[in-house]
Amino acid sequence: MKRIVWMALLAAAVAVLAALPWIGNSVLVQFGINVLLLATLAQGWNIIGGYAGYPSFGNSVFYGLGAYGVAIAMAQYQLPFWVGMLLGLTLGVAFAALLGLAVLRLKGHYFAICTLGLALVMTAIVSNLEIAGSNIGLVLPLHRGEVLFYELALGLLVLATLSVFWLSRSRFGLGLIAIRENEEGAAVLGVNTTLYKILAFVLSAAFTALAGGIYAYYITFIDPAGAFDIVLNVKMIIMAVFGGPGTVLGPVVGAFILSAISEVLATKVTSIASMFFGIVIVIAVVFMPRGIAHLVANIRRTGWRYFAENVRTHRL
Amino acid sequence: MALLLQVLVSGILLGGLYALMALGLALVWGVLNIVNLSHGALIMVGAYVTYFLVTGASIDPFAALPIAAAVLFAIGYVIQRGILNLVIRGPMFNTLLITFGIEVILTYLAQLWFSADFRTINPNYAGSNYSLGGITIPFVQVLAFAIAIALTVAMWLTLLHTRLGRGIRAAAQNLVAARLYGVNPKRIYALTFGLGAALAGVAGGLYGTVSQINPYIGGTLTAKSFVIAIIAGLDNPLWVIVGGLFLGVIESLTALYVGPTYRDVASFGILVLILIVRPSGLLGRAA
Repeated sequence: MKRIVWMALLAAAVAVLAALPWIGNSVLVQFGINVLLLATLAQGWNIIGGYAGYPSFGNSVFYGLGAYGVAIAMAQYQLPFWVGMLLGLTLGVAFAALLGLAVLRLKGHYFAICTLGLALVMTAIVSNLEIAGSNIGLVLPLHRGEVLFYELALGLLVLATLSVFWLSRSRFGLGLIAIRENEEGAAVLGVNTTLYKILAFVLSAAFTALAGGIYAYYITFIDPAGAFDIVLNVKMIIMAVFGGPGTVLGPVVGAFILSAISEVLATKVTSIASMFFGIVIVIAVVFMPRGIAHLVANIRRTGWRYFAENVRTHRL
Repeated sequence: MALLLQVLVSGILLGGLYALMALGLALVWGVLNIVNLSHGALIMVGAYVTYFLVTGASIDPFAALPIAAAVLFAIGYVIQRGILNLVIRGPMFNTLLITFGIEVILTYLAQLWFSADFRTINPNYAGSNYSLGGITIPFVQVLAFAIAIALTVAMWLTLLHTRLGRGIRAAAQNLVAARLYGVNPKRIYALTFGLGAALAGVAGGLYGTVSQINPYIGGTLTAKSFVIAIIAGLDNPLWVIVGGLFLGVIESLTALYVGPTYRDVASFGILVLILIVRPSGLLGRAA
């Protein structure tokens, strides 16, 4: 019974979000597009970082590939948008599968920094590619009306969240959680860890690349520094971690809350707004490293001691 | 031939500086098991401290380095004591993420206070250079190289022979045993991180004399330091010099033969390649 209520509430929330362009004004829709795309990125990161426990600092690579797929198809070959999306998706998925084979053997610091290195390599490589407009970038044809992008972004987020929901109760998802908790143990129990990790990386890359494609057509201009932006990695990671990594709705909630606060800050105190995500990371890692989802589940029992206990267990 | 030699010399001179940059990162990583993603941002802060001492108080840049080191030591000590000590026993990902957060904060504070303009630290002897068999060797770069190498060796000797160095090495090997012998972990961790930051500060000051600085140089410099730490391993600072020289020469050769825009492709390509092929590092003990 409780589950049906939850489902109904979520469906209602999605319906309200879908109707937003007809209720709200253009500023709200633009803000909405950004939030929905960021939430999709956080959800994409959640699959590899939250469920499989491989903290990728290079998901912006897939975002950039998706964006460049659309940009190259539309600006260089005058192909329709959906062909570009397909190209970007293919690039992102192929890249994730090929590199996943190599980098997913690394653990801990090494995986994190290697993926960070990939993001830097891609920026440097794409800056040298003529077809991608070198370091100047590409200008895409203009599409009037934001509603299309808004509904596409919403659709993608719903699709990503449904996938994670399916994943959380499938054999595949349980395998990923087993890998996160104890990889050798999972392998002993018969989980094909290499295949599972690569599939998780590919799935994560697919949603991230599609979000990048939508963004490129929406913003109509793409350059290497913007497409492979490391700050974007910071954002998707902190949104997922703040909301609750390894949960279905945590990353979406995290993205909505943090985007809203950062938007308010951007209009009120611009100087703090750019530092905001850094400050949130520091505070969240110290006081609530397991995110809002864990906080909500435990705060009623422990009250304010929750924060003190987090510090006590991890401090020197 | 002269061109190749010239490029090699520039690569080696740059490599000494890279080694100094990597030294602080490797020290903190080896002792505290924290990969400090804000290391490059600390280098950037060190560069600005030196810059403002030179332009504001008209101190010679090389005389300003000890002050930059002291300022960065204080910043590093406070960061470790106030923030990182609170999360150090948590999962690896948490410490990695929190240093990422600190890097974001430092970068934007720098942008706020110092603006995004490119700056260089120019002593009045910036133009002077030696000429040796057709090769030009800029005086400032030689000085920066010498200081970098001297500091790296000094660091090595400090770790080997002083009371503080023994405390740091003991804490790295076995914290419980070190505690029993009277090492205060909170203090020794903060001192180590402060030392790493001080090294970053000097490296930043030197970087400013040979290259341009802006608030966003941190990320790239962290990655380069990490490349060197991966090549060198974490147990001997002298390997860090070798790693630094290697990276400097590779970058210079790439700039010459492939094109200057491919420098970063080379250095980060090496990072990814080494990690994939031999994640335990090329020289010395596994990092």
